[in-house]
Amino acid sequence: MARETLKDSLAGHADGYKLLDNLSSCLGCGKCVGNCPAARQTPSYNPRQIIRDVLNGAEERWLKSEEIWRCLWCAGCYTLCPMDISYPLLIMQLRYRAVEAGYGLQYIAPFKKFAMRAREDGLTFAPGGSKGRERVQGIRSGIGASPWPEISEKAKAEYTALFDLCGVKRDLEGMPEDAAEPLDLNYLGGRIVYEP
Amino acid sequence: MNHKRIVSPEEKFPKVPESLFLFRSCTGSVEYPGTENAIKEILKLLGIKAVMDPDQTCCSGYLLTCSAYKPEFSLAVTARNLSLAERKDLDVFAFCNGCFGYLSELAHIILHNPDYKAMANSVIAPMGYEFKGTARIYHVQELYRRLQSNLVALVKRPLQGLRVGVHYGCHYLARQYGILDDGGYPSYIEDIISSLGGTPVFYKERQACCGYAVGRGFTHKENVVHPHLYSKLKSAREEGVEILVTVCPGCNTALDREQPALSERSGEKFGIPAIDVGQLIALALGVAVQKLGFKANTVPLDEVLRKISADKGENIQ
Ligand code: SF4
Ligand code: SF4
Repeated sequence: MARETLKDSLAGHADGYKLLDNLSSCLGCGKCVGNCPAARQTPSYNPRQIIRDVLNGAEERWLKSEEIWRCLWCAGCYTLCPMDISYPLLIMQLRYRAVEAGYGLQYIAPFKKFAMRAREDGLTFAPGGSKGRERVQGIRSGIGASPWPEISEKAKAEYTALFDLCGVKRDLEGMPEDAAEPLDLNYLGGRIVYEP
Repeated sequence: MNHKRIVSPEEKFPKVPESLFLFRSCTGSVEYPGTENAIKEILKLLGIKAVMDPDQTCCSGYLLTCSAYKPEFSLAVTARNLSLAERKDLDVFAFCNGCFGYLSELAHIILHNPDYKAMANSVIAPMGYEFKGTARIYHVQELYRRLQSNLVALVKRPLQGLRVGVHYGCHYLARQYGILDDGGYPSYIEDIISSLGGTPVFYKERQACCGYAVGRGFTHKENVVHPHLYSKLKSAREEGVEILVTVCPGCNTALDREQPALSERSGEKFGIPAIDVGQLIALALGVAVQKLGFKANTVPLDEVLRKISADKGENIQ
């Protein structure tokens, strides 16, 4: 297979949702890395290297890594990319694939309870306990607003229905508890060290 | 597609809307309810009708980017919420960078991919909805910029040189097309602040992310979010920022709620309140302080309110 075609098919594989048709145009210029707050904290996280590995069919080592969970999705990379590559849409999909392969589950587990509550509330991060709810109600009443955001029963019921219909409930409830620990990569002598 | 990167407020809104669909933000109505109230007060003073729809739900974007939801669900939720605005023939105005970014991005995906459009519409059709793609999506801050001179004419409580640091947040500036300013070095909110009598402060890490993005506040607080926020807030303090303003209640949560933990870690004091830019504009327009919900804030605003002579019980409209 010609190299360009191979690159495209590998990129297509990583982009199951077909959200990034230009990944293989990456120049390797590294502007993304220079503008990345996660790479600034953790040099073993490197968006340019991740794209290169995806295009070379070597992304497995990143799926296992702790690093891919450090991206802040701030799109600093996308803002500067001369090729208009929306890298955040790649990392989103790499995380899904990591989870499917059993890695990084502890990084989505904390959201299970918020998601299941949002399923009922039609709102995200509304407090679940009565103390938290009372606090919100107190502040809202104090400013002359309705004690709770005006969200209809219909809205909540339809949010729940879409949640279940689209398989979110099934995915979250089916999350295995025995997740493999993601590997923390090292950065030594200016290089990422992939092997423990 | 229009590939123009920067558009002027007049190009964006050739006509100022008489009514708009104000898109409820979960964080803006629960964590900091004063955000939503401030915007409603400003719109009232500007003579613009804000329509909120109780049938609207969460945009569902945040938990999507936390990898807890898959795109199918969020695409369907987006189609449903936007169809509510389309029924009323109104454009959508979000006041959270999250809602704004997810609505725009997900609507773009739906409208540029016939399979996704068919999928989203097929799930919401039995509920009686159809997303056509006619409603446009704006951020409320774009309207402040468009109506800046009207706001200035309404000032009742000038900001008295208050040193304001702006936090733009990533998900407005990261758009590649059709934003109000140079996303690489924006200054339009600073311009609004000066016109209301404040002193904008260009602190070094002005454009750094709030750090709470995609749930990292839950999964990587100590090793990513805290060191990142520490250097951001330190740079604000070094430049003498007295208050931070945001355009996203999510960013606001990170900048406000994490200060005690950062002080504990570093042994340094920050004490820089963070509020929505709408709350600061509302203060300048003389809206009563008790309508702005500062009780929800972790870092108190007492010094700021004293500086601009806004007494707690006062209403000078
Ligand atoms: S900035 Fe864009 S083109 Fe350059 S390395 Fe990063 S993704 Fe590739
Ligand atoms: S979106 Fe992720 S990879 Fe891109 S600059 Fe932000 S933290 Fe780095």
